[in-house]
Amino acid sequence: MKIVPEKASTIASDFDFLNLVLFIASAFFTVAIVGVMLYFAFRYRRRSNEDLDKTPRIYGNHILEIIWTAIPTVVVIFIAWWGIVLREKMFAVDSDHITVFVNSWKWAWEFRYETGKKSSGKDAVLVVPVNKPVKLILTSKDVIHSLFIPAVRVKQDAVPGSYKYMTFTPTRIGEYPIFCTEYCGTQHSTMMAKLRVVSQEEFDVWVNYVETDEGPSAELGKKLYSELGCNACHSLDGSRLVGPSFKGLYGSERELSDGSIVVADDAYILESIQYPLKKLVAGYPPAMPAYSLKDEEYLGLLSFIKEVTFGKDQGEELVSILLDEDKVPEDDALLQPEQRGARLVQQKGCVACHSLDGSQLVGPSFKGAWGSTREFTDDSTGKVDEEYVRESIYEPNKRIVKGYLPAMPSYQGQLSEEQINDIIEFLKSLK
Amino acid sequence: MAESVYSKVGGRGAPPVYHHIDPINAYHAAKFGMWLFLATEILLFSVLFTAFAIYNWAYFESFQHAATKLDWKLGGLNTLILLFSSCTAAIAVYKAQINDNQGVVKNFTVSFICGLAFLVIKYFEYSAKYRHGYFPGTELWNSAEFSTQYKNYFGLYYVMTGLHALHVLIGMGVLLWVIFLARRERFSEKYYTPVELAALYWHLVDLIWIFLFPLLYLID
Amino acid sequence: MGAADYQVDEKGHLEKNNYLNCEKGLKSWLFTIDHKRIALLYLGAMILFFLVGGLAAVLIRLHLWSSDSKLLSPDMYNVLFTLHGVLMIFLFIVPGIPAVLGNFLLPLMIGAKDVAFPRLNLFSFWIYLLGALIGFIGLLDPVWLVSKIKGSAIGTWMPLDTGWTFYTPYSTSTGAGSGWGTIIMTFAAFVLGFSSILTGLNFIVTIHRLRAPGLTWFKLPVFVWSLYATSIIQVLATPVVGITLLLLIAEKVLGVGIFDPEKGGDPILYQHFFWFYSHPVVYIMVLPAFGIIGEIIPIFSRKPIFGYSAVVFSSVGIAAVSFIVWAHHMYTAGMSPFSQAFFSATTFGVAIPTAIKVFNWVSTMYKGAISFEAPMLYAMAFVFLFMIAGTTGIFLATLGLDIFYHDTYFVVAHFHYTIQGGAVIGLIAGLHLWFPKITGKMYNKKLAIFAFWLIFIGFNVTFLPQFILGVQGMPRRYAFYIPEFEPMHRLSTIGMFFNAIGYTLALLNLALSWVFSKEKAPANPYKALGLEWQAPSPPPHDNFINTPIVTVGRYDYGKPLEDLGLKGGVSG
Repeated sequence: MKIVPEKASTIASDFDFLNLVLFIASAFFTVAIVGVMLYFAFRYRRRSNEDLDKTPRIYGNHILEIIWTAIPTVVVIFIAWWGIVLREKMFAVDSDHITVFVNSWKWAWEFRYETGKKSSGKDAVLVVPVNKPVKLILTSKDVIHSLFIPAVRVKQDAVPGSYKYMTFTPTRIGEYPIFCTEYCGTQHSTMMAKLRVVSQEEFDVWVNYVETDEGPSAELGKKLYSELGCNACHSLDGSRLVGPSFKGLYGSERELSDGSIVVADDAYILESIQYPLKKLVAGYPPAMPAYSLKDEEYLGLLSFIKEVTFGKDQGEELVSILLDEDKVPEDDALLQPEQRGARLVQQKGCVACHSLDGSQLVGPSFKGAWGSTREFTDDSTGKVDEEYVRESIYEPNKRIVKGYLPAMPSYQGQLSEEQINDIIEFLKSLK
Repeated sequence: MAESVYSKVGGRGAPPVYHHIDPINAYHAAKFGMWLFLATEILLFSVLFTAFAIYNWAYFESFQHAATKLDWKLGGLNTLILLFSSCTAAIAVYKAQINDNQGVVKNFTVSFICGLAFLVIKYFEYSAKYRHGYFPGTELWNSAEFSTQYKNYFGLYYVMTGLHALHVLIGMGVLLWVIFLARRERFSEKYYTPVELAALYWHLVDLIWIFLFPLLYLID
Repeated sequence: MGAADYQVDEKGHLEKNNYLNCEKGLKSWLFTIDHKRIALLYLGAMILFFLVGGLAAVLIRLHLWSSDSKLLSPDMYNVLFTLHGVLMIFLFIVPGIPAVLGNFLLPLMIGAKDVAFPRLNLFSFWIYLLGALIGFIGLLDPVWLVSKIKGSAIGTWMPLDTGWTFYTPYSTSTGAGSGWGTIIMTFAAFVLGFSSILTGLNFIVTIHRLRAPGLTWFKLPVFVWSLYATSIIQVLATPVVGITLLLLIAEKVLGVGIFDPEKGGDPILYQHFFWFYSHPVVYIMVLPAFGIIGEIIPIFSRKPIFGYSAVVFSSVGIAAVSFIVWAHHMYTAGMSPFSQAFFSATTFGVAIPTAIKVFNWVSTMYKGAISFEAPMLYAMAFVFLFMIAGTTGIFLATLGLDIFYHDTYFVVAHFHYTIQGGAVIGLIAGLHLWFPKITGKMYNKKLAIFAFWLIFIGFNVTFLPQFILGVQGMPRRYAFYIPEFEPMHRLSTIGMFFNAIGYTLALLNLALSWVFSKEKAPANPYKALGLEWQAPSPPPHDNFINTPIVTVGRYDYGKPLEDLGLKGGVSG
């Protein structure tokens, strides 16, 4: 039986060390004091009733009082300081981190990534890359929950109506339990999730595989920016309208109407959309109405504001990741079908003739091919569907797209039925 | 048996006889106890003041604006009424100390009537709020344009003034009881503890209003 | 009634005309204004609540025997731990020592005939019962039960399941009590708090004005000092509950956003208000127990209490600091780092006076003539248990560590060590010590010691494993848990049996000895100093037959140092 949970984050050893020091100190003082008490009890036990009034009438000792006031005082000041330092370290956010948005409700967790990737429900998994700082931004839809990951030694309440954060840097690949530690009703004890720490490569593949057909978060945000009329008050170019400009907003320091300073981080921006008047920037009127949007819409706006600040180069394109040999895990079984397809088109050398970015090589590009209608050399037309792709791999020259040469060899016998399916999935993902 | 176990009520103008405490000590004990009780009352209201301060800070503009919806003239009139009633309550204590039970009756009756007047004016204020729709359950209150900040302000307004009105009611009950005792000539220079305690309580009721009035009515 | 009416035997036993039998009939009990009888009324009511709360604990621990236990449904489990917490905290241990032993002993210890306001004292008891009644109504979902009787019930019966902390917005959104459970419970807490305020106010005035001639402030018993400190907390902290209640009602009825984020409120504000009251309440529970231990150790060691003024000032110090530590319950709620550091630092401020107390208790035993009767065993157990409670408290006060330990079994174990190992053990120790004074009988000493060992061993076996569970990361209030935690839970459940049997045995021993024992207790069975031992056992209605005058110090045991040929001059 393990007493201390696994150490799976950078802070874990700091935590365990302080914990151990305190344990030793506590054990020492307890054993010493109780030991002295038991010794006195034995040494000065009443032997006969004649002892009753022979005890010395000692009222106290000032020097002893001073000593045993001073010693605990010094000890606790030291421990208090250490505890505060440890907490600072626990919550210090590294500038190079990935952000995960955590939402919670009775009784499940939801983890959303900036790519739009989402994991939620009873089997929610918080997937993070090893050795990379993670910042979680937490909120709740109904009552207070609390995200607790014993293996990384941190915990933070998720409070409805506000955004709190926690951070950690996982150091060990593996799976660890996540608990809810703020009592929330019937299923409180089964409101669990998993922390899965994986390699950076595996993470990149996982996080970029987005099932939903929503576009990237920032595009949704851009759409909302004009649809909701944010643009009436918030400029993108730094000019002053009714409200502060979005230009350079993210990460900047803001002075509020009450004189305090906050950093416009994720939590601040999300909160300001929902509760605009809570933290009002100095010099601006309290004119903004509160917006009640869907989760992905809040995050979309946030991504958009970030994009305005940092430019568009955030987040790598799906294709480049799929094609980077080093970043793809060895084991095919771990991959999604289209990821296996991506690997195949590389291994079989398809990419020598078929580009992935739309440029014209010997053959037509794979990009946008799926579902499109092609004109063939025999003047007939056809849709790029499963049947056509399969035919083109087995009998490449049967129908040739106009403007291209009949240069492709047949892959009959070289690719299994499953592999072809994988390639089809890959083509679909390149739409 | 019984007479040694329980205290006796003293005769006309004489302090009650207690088995466990002498009359002078009983007077000081009662007054000390009353002050402690008043301290808890002040704490009770100070929590509300804290809540008000927090939300006033958070929703400064809305609170400023909402405060203009209150009628400061009626509030001011109520302030004057309570100040006056405090005055007569203080005089009643003096009357008791000079053996004038009728004086206690007269002055406390004035205080009592002032309390009643205060509540009547409060009633008019509340019903005016209701007509304007600044009251829970009205159409305006439930509509979307009545912001949560406004609800917050008016909610705190009703909680604070309502709790204060409850104290006025309790204070009036206490006054009535002392008036009843004074009519029976119970007080004298030797024994006027209930008069003094009732007056102390009434002063507290007054004092709390003195804080509530500028906070709620005059912040714009 | 004059001195001649009392026939005290040579040992100080008063058979007739004592406070227990000077008046007869139910009415003479229910409407008594005698502080001693009121103390017994409290004791009776509290033991009832203790047994019900204890039964809930037994069921909880039985359920936790296995990780996926089917004994209770999760809802029932939640209801039971709420019931356990509410009964044990609000109805049992908060009034606990002050209402029973404080009421009984305070006038006796200061040589008074009663408390300053005897009628107010009775009134406090009745509103305590009223509060208890309201509490039960709140717990049991009366709205549903009534509609069930009428035949118009909707949904299922759902008693209160919020836990004793009633955190919003869960507590205001749960269907328990048909939506009114939390408000009724807060009302109950306020009524109970009002009872506390009045008792505290009564005690403060009594201590100020009714001390016997010659009993100056620094001759007061340490137990009286601890009651004084407790009373101050009761008077100052309780009004906050009243307002919290009012704001909850305003939110529910007026729709004002105070705590509910959907209405523009802040749920964390509720936690601030709640803990501003409920943290000082922890010291209301445990400070009087400190006082009791400070009385027991000198009596059975035959030594003056070591460092009297240090012990007294540490009580007052703890009371003062208790008001500025409340937010240490909220380290993970997302307060600013500065507030967290501030509350962590103040919390450590509690550790110092507590440590001083422990050192002084142990030093009192030095060169004593120690006898090991049940109260002394309880007192020594208290020192041991409180060392564990205190040192684990240091873990929880340490900011970085509490981020992990918050809301885990480590906290559960810690507060059971402070409250059960501290306050309850203190209460039981005090009941044993003053049993002859209260009842005029003597308890069975062998059985008392046997029960003590059952409680002591059972308690440690129950709660030490829970520290380990906490270190492993087991969250509290879990009806089910992952199988890794099972061994420690099983050990804990086994310990619970011994603990439960121990308490039952100890209480039965006291109750049966009172009814059946033929042994007449003398006025002063321990040859102790102190005014309460000068009164006959049991005392008459007016406590003392003649007004006592303080001539010898309460703790002046043994011989002056000069008489022993030792160097004198050391003083407290």
